[in-house]
Amino acid sequence: MSPPRTRYSALALVRRGLTTTPWPRVWRSHEIAPTADVVIIGGGVHGLATAYYLAVNHGITDVAVVEKGYIGGGGSGRNTAIIRSNYLTPEGVAFYDRSVKLYERLAAELNFNVMFSQRGHMTLAHNDSSLRTMRWRAEVNKLQGVDSEVIDPAEVKRIAPPLDVSNATRYPILGALYHPPGGIVRHDAVVWGYARAADARGVRIHQQTEVTGIDVVGGAVRGVTTTRGDIAAPTVVNCTAGWSTLVSDMAGVRLPVSTFPLQAAVTEPVRPFLPTVIVSGTLHVYVSQTDRGELVFGASVDPFTSYSTRGSLDFTEGLAAHVLQLMPQLSQLRVLRQWAGLCDMTPDFSPIMGVTPVQGFLVDVGWGTYGFKAGPVAGEAMAQLIAVGKTPELIAGFDLARFTDGRLVGEKGAAAVGH
Amino acid sequence: MTHDVMRLSAQPGEVIDRARHVRFTWNGAPRRGFEGDTIASALAADGVRVFSRSFKYHRPRGLLTAGFHEPGCMVQVDEEPNVRGAHRRVRDGMVVCAQNAWPSLRFDVKAANQLVGRFLTSGFYYKTFMAPPQLWPAYERVLRRFAAGGVAPTTPPDVTYDQRFAHTDVLVAGGGPAGMAAALAAADTGARVMLVDEEPALGGHLRWGGAAQLAVVHELRNAIAAADIEVLTDAVVTGRYDGNWIAVLQRGLPHVTERLVKVRTRSLVVAPGLVERPYVFAGNDLPGVMLSTGVRRLVNLYAVRPGTAAVVFTANADGDAAAEDLARVGVDVRHVVDARSGGDIVRARGRGGLQAVECAGGPTIECDLLVTATGWTAPTSLLNMAGARPVYHPEAARFLPGTLPDDVLATGGIAGDGSLEQIVDHGRETGRAAARRLAGSRAGTANAEAAAPEGNAQIPALQVQRHPALFKGTTDGFVDYSEDVTSKELVGAVAEGYDSIELAKRYTTATMGPVQGKLETVNTVAVVAEATGSDVERTGTTVWRPPYAPVSLGALAGRIHEPVRRSPMHSWHADQGAAPLIAGAWIRPDHYGDPPAEARNVRDAVGIIDVTPLGKLDLRGPHVPELLNQVYVNKWSKLAVGSVRYGVMCAEDGVVLDDGVTGRLDTDHYIMTTTSSGALGVWEWIENWLQTERPGWQVHVTPVTTAYASMNVAGPRSRELLARVVDDVALDPARFGYMRVRAATVAGVAGCFMWRIGFTGELSYEIHVPSGYGLHVWTSLLAAGRDLGIRAFGVEAQRILRLEKGHAIVGQDTDGLTQAYGADLAWAIKLDKDDFAGKPELVWQRARDDYERLVGLQPVDAAVVPPEASQIVEGTSTIVGRITSSRMSPTLGRSICLGYVAPHLATPGTRVTVLLPGGVRIPARVMPELAHVDPGGLRLRAEHPWDGATRAVPSAPAIARSPIPVTEPAGVVDGWYVGTHRSPSPLRLSDRTAMGKTWIRAPREGAIAATLSPRGRAVRMADGSLACGFGPGEWMVLGPSADVQQTLDRLRELATESELVTVIDQTHGRALLRLTGDDAALVLSKICAIDLHPRATPDATALRTQVAGVTTDLVRDDHGGEASYLLGCEWSSGQYLFDEVLAAGAEFDIAVDGFGP
Amino acid sequence: MIELHCPNCGRRNVSEFRYVGERHIRPDPDVADPTTWRSYLYLRDNPAGWTDETWLHRAGCRRYLVVERHTVSNEIRSIREAMPVVASEADAPHAQPGRAQSGGSGESA
Repeated sequence: MSPPRTRYSALALVRRGLTTTPWPRVWRSHEIAPTADVVIIGGGVHGLATAYYLAVNHGITDVAVVEKGYIGGGGSGRNTAIIRSNYLTPEGVAFYDRSVKLYERLAAELNFNVMFSQRGHMTLAHNDSSLRTMRWRAEVNKLQGVDSEVIDPAEVKRIAPPLDVSNATRYPILGALYHPPGGIVRHDAVVWGYARAADARGVRIHQQTEVTGIDVVGGAVRGVTTTRGDIAAPTVVNCTAGWSTLVSDMAGVRLPVSTFPLQAAVTEPVRPFLPTVIVSGTLHVYVSQTDRGELVFGASVDPFTSYSTRGSLDFTEGLAAHVLQLMPQLSQLRVLRQWAGLCDMTPDFSPIMGVTPVQGFLVDVGWGTYGFKAGPVAGEAMAQLIAVGKTPELIAGFDLARFTDGRLVGEKGAAAVGH
Repeated sequence: MTHDVMRLSAQPGEVIDRARHVRFTWNGAPRRGFEGDTIASALAADGVRVFSRSFKYHRPRGLLTAGFHEPGCMVQVDEEPNVRGAHRRVRDGMVVCAQNAWPSLRFDVKAANQLVGRFLTSGFYYKTFMAPPQLWPAYERVLRRFAAGGVAPTTPPDVTYDQRFAHTDVLVAGGGPAGMAAALAAADTGARVMLVDEEPALGGHLRWGGAAQLAVVHELRNAIAAADIEVLTDAVVTGRYDGNWIAVLQRGLPHVTERLVKVRTRSLVVAPGLVERPYVFAGNDLPGVMLSTGVRRLVNLYAVRPGTAAVVFTANADGDAAAEDLARVGVDVRHVVDARSGGDIVRARGRGGLQAVECAGGPTIECDLLVTATGWTAPTSLLNMAGARPVYHPEAARFLPGTLPDDVLATGGIAGDGSLEQIVDHGRETGRAAARRLAGSRAGTANAEAAAPEGNAQIPALQVQRHPALFKGTTDGFVDYSEDVTSKELVGAVAEGYDSIELAKRYTTATMGPVQGKLETVNTVAVVAEATGSDVERTGTTVWRPPYAPVSLGALAGRIHEPVRRSPMHSWHADQGAAPLIAGAWIRPDHYGDPPAEARNVRDAVGIIDVTPLGKLDLRGPHVPELLNQVYVNKWSKLAVGSVRYGVMCAEDGVVLDDGVTGRLDTDHYIMTTTSSGALGVWEWIENWLQTERPGWQVHVTPVTTAYASMNVAGPRSRELLARVVDDVALDPARFGYMRVRAATVAGVAGCFMWRIGFTGELSYEIHVPSGYGLHVWTSLLAAGRDLGIRAFGVEAQRILRLEKGHAIVGQDTDGLTQAYGADLAWAIKLDKDDFAGKPELVWQRARDDYERLVGLQPVDAAVVPPEASQIVEGTSTIVGRITSSRMSPTLGRSICLGYVAPHLATPGTRVTVLLPGGVRIPARVMPELAHVDPGGLRLRAEHPWDGATRAVPSAPAIARSPIPVTEPAGVVDGWYVGTHRSPSPLRLSDRTAMGKTWIRAPREGAIAATLSPRGRAVRMADGSLACGFGPGEWMVLGPSADVQQTLDRLRELATESELVTVIDQTHGRALLRLTGDDAALVLSKICAIDLHPRATPDATALRTQVAGVTTDLVRDDHGGEASYLLGCEWSSGQYLFDEVLAAGAEFDIAVDGFGP
Repeated sequence: MIELHCPNCGRRNVSEFRYVGERHIRPDPDVADPTTWRSYLYLRDNPAGWTDETWLHRAGCRRYLVVERHTVSNEIRSIREAMPVVASEADAPHAQPGRAQSGGSGESA
């Protein structure tokens, strides 16, 4: 693997600080080339990671990443940046565990500090059935070698002192699933790091370029039409979120996907006090404190489908009520900003990855609320599929055909039981 | 300490009350201000010039705007972090501290960051701390220490929050001249108007103007006081959401710290004025560099001298006015640099504060105040939230509103420039136009459509004056004061490739601080535009997202409404010290101290459990069997009257959805039970079939879950016990066998029904008692069974018993993908039925052999209970199943389980390996049946002959009780135990649950509908009862008694033969409250989103909506000239609703009234 | 908070309603092959634009409603009761199958 063109380091920072030499560009702009080996639709973490691994792992560099806005402007820039692998099914755990492993070494590999903070991830249980589901998850996790355990309220308090673990609350905390390797990452940095590293290896990133058509002849993809010109390519990958059905429709591929807004919010900064990521499924909230001191919140997706990212008041109201049930001392903290991203929900809350009935048209979609966590591993697996022509074992269970064959992935089991 | 060193003599527009001193502390030192001072103005009057340290470089910061968006004075007040010190008023005893400084504001250790600032440019952290990776956590700890902001409290602070709903025709955001004029003009048309301003008084920028402006303010204020306008001051419109749903955060109220007002407005008028823009140049953040509006606020509102010697850099009239103000109050204005004639300033110099200003091509002037007036930012946040994108006008050097949706209008400075007269005129026209839009919907009737929007075209546009494009001078300076981002850093980010406004914003964090771009957005865009060789127009802005100003979590949460449901026996459980189990909204007794003993008692003698939360649906009509066949996997055509059957429901994907029993009480009358958590879902599922797929079927479904107190009497002596309290049902097994249902009078209570079923595996009777008598029957059974060894058991004992019997629990022993064959339900599934929900998937599942099976399991070591969710494994880590339920069986003295295993392990006798959470692997055996105890069912059938000998035990007289605890004095009225107190209070809440309630379903149109009341109305009947049309074809008659049979007979006479008419006594199904008094609507507006204005909800309105999160029947039923509302909800939510109404009424001195005429 | 203009109850906050999902036709279960049946279960048009949906006015009239909504602007163009099926009508109303198309797992992090 060839290194990025200019290495970032403390020494380089000092040198530039003293000499005022400008830093080189992180990535270049390109005219649209008429052909490519691979066209990737979507310049988020999935698309860019796929491009990066194509170049690095397989030497495929004639790759065009086409992004209708700016890179990382979709789900990659709107999520709450939580990373974990404590899923329910063995296939889910194996998959996300690989992602955590990739994240752990990503800063060094990309020479871009993505600030992966493995501060621990705690899912609170407020009733017997969620405690049971957590034990289920912990047991499956441990069998896969993933550090995950059920802890009692005293331990919850020790690890996360701001939480109210008394019985005086409406939904007392009965225990938690604690997952030490989980944490948060700087989401923009992941996008930029992949973009910079992919660019350095010859991948062409086209921002402000929208795909307006996908050319399919005789059941095989031939290329794409964009607002800046056509690109002929034997392989086209749909790495979009929020728009995955609309993009797939262009290729005549229907997806079992419904798009829901997922909202998030951030407070004004306060001094660090919350050491871990806190999640409560019963109260529909997750919260972490960034290195800047802000609390970042998220909740479940909106109650009805929409392509709107305008955000709602009911979301912040519900969020505040639930956060204050966990940490009543925070009532004076103020929500500074709220926003929304789009989540493509599938019937089994699992992604759709791999081949479609249209030859050469591949999908990496339907990520629901889990897309950001899976960026590196999805890119690695999709790159392998493209390069080798065979679906990697790690993602075999996430194929599109499972919905017609009746082989849904069992992550929904947890969702149904753990509500 | 010398006070008021910078305080001026009285100013004409000052807002301070010099007669009232306020004492507080600043960084531990005592300080003094006047009533009306902000924290910042009081400190500035005392000579304070440095209020905070900046976020990244810890540079000392003074006042810039001295207003709401001041970035330099975020302070900690008592336990509250990040208070806007230039807006918050001082209060006696306040403890105010600077943030982001250590050990002190004057000497801040981290100020050393300034020295290494050249290395800490934006995004430096992305480029370092990567090696060695194991040191990253240490780096991160250091980085986190630099987080800015105040300190979050560690214990809940003593603050209160609440919310209320409001409905307006026109909401005006901004109380300046245009906003005030808009509100007045709208109110003139008769519209309902709300006017909101963030300052404690109306007037906008006129407040710091001269005599002429002040005169206009007074005139407008007087007119508003005389008009019918709801004015909220010290209140900020924080968001505009879809549907013109507006959030207003209000402070300065007597009863709460902050209140969030949620307003549904037909039109929104946005009139926030303009925010003055800083100028970017070297040293522009030195204390002493201020904006012209900041200077004018300090001088004119607070009578504070901002400095002693000043330079003024002006490009507009406001800058000129600032210079005049300063000269007037004796500040030495040493130099005025006029940008309109090409003047410029190069840099500000000073250490810790401004000392001199270097002017372009001119002298360096010593001064301690530099005033800049370089232009405006239009705070278009609310317009952005409505989907409008602002448009840049280069000649005016600012953004203006773009195309607006029909229900949002803009006026005042945000819309353009003009004389005060022109601005007021524009406001007036805008207010009129906003009001005109709703002329058509004025009637307040639900179905009236809004008149066609008329557009903004009718409002004469304001002129836009030319203004020099002044963003950045010749030197680099701070663009974002909150985030410490300089123009140089932005240029550097662009050069690196972060070359769109969004990427540059994300990379440098410019505009992402507490002020959220109000001050810095335009400058950021301008700097990025210059760096990219583009212009402001093409570069565009970032999207302004809600909220407009930060909103506290407390206000967003308000009073937290978490509905709680309680059974009629709740008080008994609490008295017995039952351990509570929170199951959704229900609070249930988990156990009474010793669950295994409770379980053993059921096997040995008799136990009683409260199962009220079981979902119960009353099904009536000729097509009930068809419906049951459709939703259950089993067959229902031949269920005889008096029989009960267990049924399983699947969704269309074949996944087990719910289970329960359904009994046939009469030819066309069935009762279905569901799981507790499935009650609502099953009801809606059934309605979906009836309303959308099978509309031809005549079935009326009525939820009666909490109309009945349900209790299960289980154990070998249960028959003997029941014989003592039931005298109208023959209990011998030949006449009342297993899976049979009977109507019964229990402990003197008529209208009960009971069926023999066997969830626990014992002979048992599930008795359903009208809720008001639940506690009476419960205690009567306990009293009657004392010598039989009766003992209450909780949910945990029931779990043990059902597991011994091998009864699966949907949701625990099945999950979101479990299709029915996997759950060992083959015996129930009848694929030969024509159609039922999920049938195709079950057909295909049966043909496969690859699914996991639910089996009974017993560990070989009888003493080991594998925790639920333990995995069943093969080899080192292959998962081949899991334990879903496990307990130590008191009956067998060994551990027992249910669980799933892969098909090849499902054969009885197979040994499997269970991996315990600790890592130990234990062997377990697959059992031949799910049932561990009494697989043959002999115990629950209990068909041994019974002599029928009884010892009648007299019950206490049956007295009904409401779900709402009675307030003394109390007595028995008409068989109900009720409060008898008469309150003289003008606002009264009383429990009217004892009133009769008859539920009627009939065709929507026809004779019955005509006799009762139209939908949405409450009509007083000849007998004094009140017929309320709550829904289509659905009425509730509230009256003294509920003689169902009589009502039914009467209605049947009216109906034609083919029409289905259902009448159900819901007296025990619903709690009923009455809220009376002139403030009743105000109380309800805190917990109910419905518009209660008399125009929208006049007397005799009947509707169903949500109140405090509970579905509630609401009737406006005025009494004796007083406004009065009846509120009805499910029985189990009665106490919750009562408590919520009381809490909402606390600030209005609500009183509890007894039950009376 | 958008409002839905319920044909029975008038304008009400959307929080009183439950979103059920896109409307679609239930195939005849006796003849549907797996592809047809599972298309009914899982496939959605998911358009960015106008779409017909089923909603339930849960806290009001408790009627299932057919709502024509724009999924980008969230505007409502029409709303009516899910009226009885008329066999000959081409676009006869049908219901959403199974459990509601969920708004997702409670836990998303």
